[in-house]
Amino acid sequence: MSVRGTQVGGTLLVAIAIAAATAPLVAPHDPGQQFVDYVYAPPMRPHLVDDDGQWHWPFIYPLRLVSRLDHAFEEDRSRRIPLVWFSAGTLVNAHDPQTPWLLCGADALGRDIFARVLRGARLSLAISVMAAAGALLLGALVGATAGFHGGRADDFLMSIADFVLVLPVIYVVVVLRASMPLVLSTTKVFWSMTAVMSLAGWPYVARGVRSVVVAERRREYAEAAQAIGAGGLRILLRHLLPAAGGFLTVQATLLVPVFILAEATLSFAGLGFAEPTPSWGVMLHEASRAPILAEAPWLLTPAFAIILTVLALNLAASPAYGATIETVIADK
Amino acid sequence: MAAKFSRTFAVIVVVAAIAAGLFISRRTSHRNGPAPAASSADVPVRGGELVASFRSEPRTYNRFVDTSAAGDLLTLLTHAPLVHVNRATDQLEPWLAESWTESPDHLTYTLKLRPGTAFSDGAPLTSADVVFTFRALYDPKVQAVIAADTYVSGKPLQLDAPDPSTVVLRLPAPFAAGLRLLDSIPILPRHKLEPALVAGTFRDAWSVTSPLTDIAGLGPFVIAQHISGQRMVLTRNPHYWRRDAGGVQLPYLDKLTIVIIPDQNAEALRLQSGETDLMVNADIRPEDYGSFKRISQQGRLRVLDAGIKLDPDLLWFNLSKVHADDPRNAWLRTKAFREAISCAVDRQAVIDTAYLGAGVPIYGPVTPANRTWYVDVRPACEHDPGKARTLLASIGLLDRNADGMLEDPKGNAVAFSVLTQRDHLRARVVAVVQEQLRKIGIDVSLVTVDIPAIFQRWSQRDYDSIYFGTQASSMDPSLAPAFWLSSGNFHPWNPSQTKPATDWERRVDELMNQMAVTPDPAERRRLFEQVQRIFADELPGIYFVAPKAMIVISSRVVNPQPAAQIPQLLWSADTLAARPAAR
Amino acid sequence: MYSGFVRFVVRRTAFAAALVLVVSSASLVLAHYAPPEDAFGTERAVLARERHRLGYDQPLLQQYTHWLTRSLQLDFGESLRFRRPVAALVRERVGNTALLGISGLLLATLIGIPLGVFTGSRRGGVLVSAARLVSIVLLSFPPLVTSLVLLLVAARTGWLPAGGLPLIPPDAGALESAAIIARYLFLPSLALALPVAASIERLQSQSLREALADPCIIAALGRGVPYRRVIWRHALRLSLKPVIAIYGITIGAVLSGSFVVEIVMSWQGLGDLMFQALQARDLYLIAGCAATGSAGLAAGILLSDLALVAVDPRVEELG
Repeated sequence: MSVRGTQVGGTLLVAIAIAAATAPLVAPHDPGQQFVDYVYAPPMRPHLVDDDGQWHWPFIYPLRLVSRLDHAFEEDRSRRIPLVWFSAGTLVNAHDPQTPWLLCGADALGRDIFARVLRGARLSLAISVMAAAGALLLGALVGATAGFHGGRADDFLMSIADFVLVLPVIYVVVVLRASMPLVLSTTKVFWSMTAVMSLAGWPYVARGVRSVVVAERRREYAEAAQAIGAGGLRILLRHLLPAAGGFLTVQATLLVPVFILAEATLSFAGLGFAEPTPSWGVMLHEASRAPILAEAPWLLTPAFAIILTVLALNLAASPAYGATIETVIADK
Repeated sequence: MAAKFSRTFAVIVVVAAIAAGLFISRRTSHRNGPAPAASSADVPVRGGELVASFRSEPRTYNRFVDTSAAGDLLTLLTHAPLVHVNRATDQLEPWLAESWTESPDHLTYTLKLRPGTAFSDGAPLTSADVVFTFRALYDPKVQAVIAADTYVSGKPLQLDAPDPSTVVLRLPAPFAAGLRLLDSIPILPRHKLEPALVAGTFRDAWSVTSPLTDIAGLGPFVIAQHISGQRMVLTRNPHYWRRDAGGVQLPYLDKLTIVIIPDQNAEALRLQSGETDLMVNADIRPEDYGSFKRISQQGRLRVLDAGIKLDPDLLWFNLSKVHADDPRNAWLRTKAFREAISCAVDRQAVIDTAYLGAGVPIYGPVTPANRTWYVDVRPACEHDPGKARTLLASIGLLDRNADGMLEDPKGNAVAFSVLTQRDHLRARVVAVVQEQLRKIGIDVSLVTVDIPAIFQRWSQRDYDSIYFGTQASSMDPSLAPAFWLSSGNFHPWNPSQTKPATDWERRVDELMNQMAVTPDPAERRRLFEQVQRIFADELPGIYFVAPKAMIVISSRVVNPQPAAQIPQLLWSADTLAARPAAR
Repeated sequence: MYSGFVRFVVRRTAFAAALVLVVSSASLVLAHYAPPEDAFGTERAVLARERHRLGYDQPLLQQYTHWLTRSLQLDFGESLRFRRPVAALVRERVGNTALLGISGLLLATLIGIPLGVFTGSRRGGVLVSAARLVSIVLLSFPPLVTSLVLLLVAARTGWLPAGGLPLIPPDAGALESAAIIARYLFLPSLALALPVAASIERLQSQSLREALADPCIIAALGRGVPYRRVIWRHALRLSLKPVIAIYGITIGAVLSGSFVVEIVMSWQGLGDLMFQALQARDLYLIAGCAATGSAGLAAGILLSDLALVAVDPRVEELG
């Protein structure tokens, strides 16, 4: 089960990464394009069989606006618009340039939610991966130093790590972010969020790396290296850290979902990306307004994108998950 | 076996949880029973209670210190002015002053107080209370914010009380709007507040921590209870002077509860579920209309069309401070640039996208809702991107490198930022405008912040442009000099000027000053029409949409009198009534 | 033995105190450097006066020492935004968050432990794999997403209220009040509970499997004690140790999740207050919220450590 789980997770992950990377090509529309007559339009499902029972190449029915204020739409079943590959510079699109193909419906400004979710995948994945890299780097440094030198330095560094570990992640992230100026350009937001999340995440890594380093240091080859006079740093880099490689990889897969969520929460709370950047958290913020949510549930598409991505990561890391819990408990 | 047991256990737990949940939800039912059919022939009867929701709460009960929306609301509910502007008809009505006469030079008004009027604690109203109120209003230690609203030509009013039921009001200069000035001044009880005024502690009087028995007013309700963060309960003022046409003493309601719900979504949800009967800011967002309409078809809610709203939002540029090293100085603040923007924007698309069609395009600060003063000033150019491009080219802005965006002669990109309110319809409007301007090559960046941050940047003159609203055109324009005059402190694009910075602002100042003293209404309207035309021509503020107001109330509310100004229903809280609920 | 226990408690309490001190001080310092809020027009002068009165424009060291001395006397200052004492504001809100957190934890336990026992006590089979899958799926439902989905369900169906604090009519009896609170509390707690339940399930499952390998368990089975009894009476108690140990850390996750759930479901608790305080740069309120949050966290960790000692007396040596 766990092996298959890992495979499923891994495949899903690769698919998501590819979709995110090729977002402008896969999405039929520009994420910022506003379709005036499609505000809060429902998703346009591709069909294979028409009303008479005839099979066709996949097609969609165009939507007709019945009442703007009620955002009531109606499928015009008299016309079939086939889907074509590689047209208008995108992978799949509707044949008719007048009809936008809204696979997941449209949002409050008539923008294609599917295109925005794909673009958001780029942002969220990029920031989480960056932040995870930052946390890994910082944590590996601290953990290796603590494990290698032992004694006072070890105690001190690890108590700091323990301390940060205990704090609620979101609180740490929110307070750190809120202490910076509220209005920043998108690039600055990206890097400040990355920094904040790395600062919140390094203790998990540090603890594990430290354990690995401590264990390895006592091994014969390390003592032998020390005996022939190899310098501390050299031992660290060439022998001890690579031993932690497995742990670091697993930690990466565990941290990324946490950071995806942290970014979504920050943007949702208004401390991260802001409109019109199509980050998942920003899109969820708009979706969180309950009366309209009941009327247009497709606004929650980014929520399912988050679930899917996090699920893929958890599945991929599932065999290692139990081991990490053990490590944390054993060290207490 | 063990597995079966733990599985059974889990199943039992889950089933129990669901059963408990269903049981609990059956016990509590809606406050209202079967939905009664709403009919406009409902006659208001005395008795009953309503629940209203509001998004903030007062920080003090002292009107002269608190200028927040919550303070406004409380003043409407618990205090009364000498004369009253009926917001539905825009007519001046006698209120605490039963009648008045005007001197031929329009400088002196003699008002007769309604006999037998008493405060909520029973103490009789006399002219001494009126004089006291104005004394406190103008007292330098009090620093009452609303004092400036009563100044005429920069000088305060003078009041005398020749006898206990007469007040003589002297204006320092002729003022055409006349007694309308007095609509916003509540008459305060001398016997409660004079000691504080004499001691110099008036500002601290009637704070949120004072006992509620200290507070007395002439309005329809008294504050019976205030639980901070949760609700304010107002009960009938037994001494309220007003009676309806049939002689029944108002207010009709025994009790009005104001529930504090800071979140707009939660507020809408409570109204939908029937836990509240109305919202103080009674109109709903366009995107909620669909769900409200669905529920209103079940009979529990009513949707009222209250016409077009007043006080539209505007986009204004920072015309007050010019940064010497801003490379955009040659074109960003020119009239041609603003004309081009106004020309390029498809207002109907803005209405259709941001307001779902519920609005009309406008081109100036006054909307059709202001029947007395509105003039339809159409600009020369309506949604003409070609003309917009020509205008931009005339100030040197062209697409010089075929990337679709415009550059100025030095090669700088034509780009500016718009600051607006986060999570609000305004942000959506700017997003649509942004997209429209991108099509003619202008790069607009949208910056959304919360309201305090907007004011901070605005007061520090640290912005390119702002999209926000003002409350300036919902009444007689002479009562809003802060917006119209160049010296006004809420003349958004260039506030508090010592002398008019442009010719057109000087002309507007002259026209407004003339309008303030001319007694003839037709002449005043003619003068103000000229002001509106100048605005449409110079475009210090670019206007796009005047939204429609859609008010939703529960079917328990009887005799609503919707007005365009907020609070749309509670401005006449004494005539609101409730249908008795069937439990 | 006894002195060891006392030493354990003392050390843990000292840790808790240090936690609260460091967290609130750090928040105060961070907030001190943040650019200030402003208000409109005449309010601005009032606001400036207020800020001066509360001592916001003092240099950091002076402000910090003042705050610290006053806090030790249990006076946490006054909130800039609400113009009320911080202690009063926090007191009003902390109950809501505590209620939410505790019911979330309770729900998570009710779901997680039985599920964990189920998957840990059986070898294989479709149902076990399904349960494990459910667990991983639940883990991938962060509170942000779950609360939004539940909000949708509530708004659409109207079975349960879509957010907000319970509106109890003033004339309601005790039982009716409890029922109303439970109605409003259910969805937010569920949103919080799901991922925590998954963590608990995984841990419980693993530790039960390990406990089943313990010699005394095998001996009991050899004696002929029924399998079910072995699971629930012996193995479970042995396996609870790591699960209880994780409760301390879980409180951090619950607090973290409650921040979002409070915002989405308009549940006015500590997280919501902290958020408003952050936006308003309300220094003392931020410090107060942070202190309270960390105090709750420390208390939770302390309780879980004490529970651990009660379950397994060997643990106090690790203190």
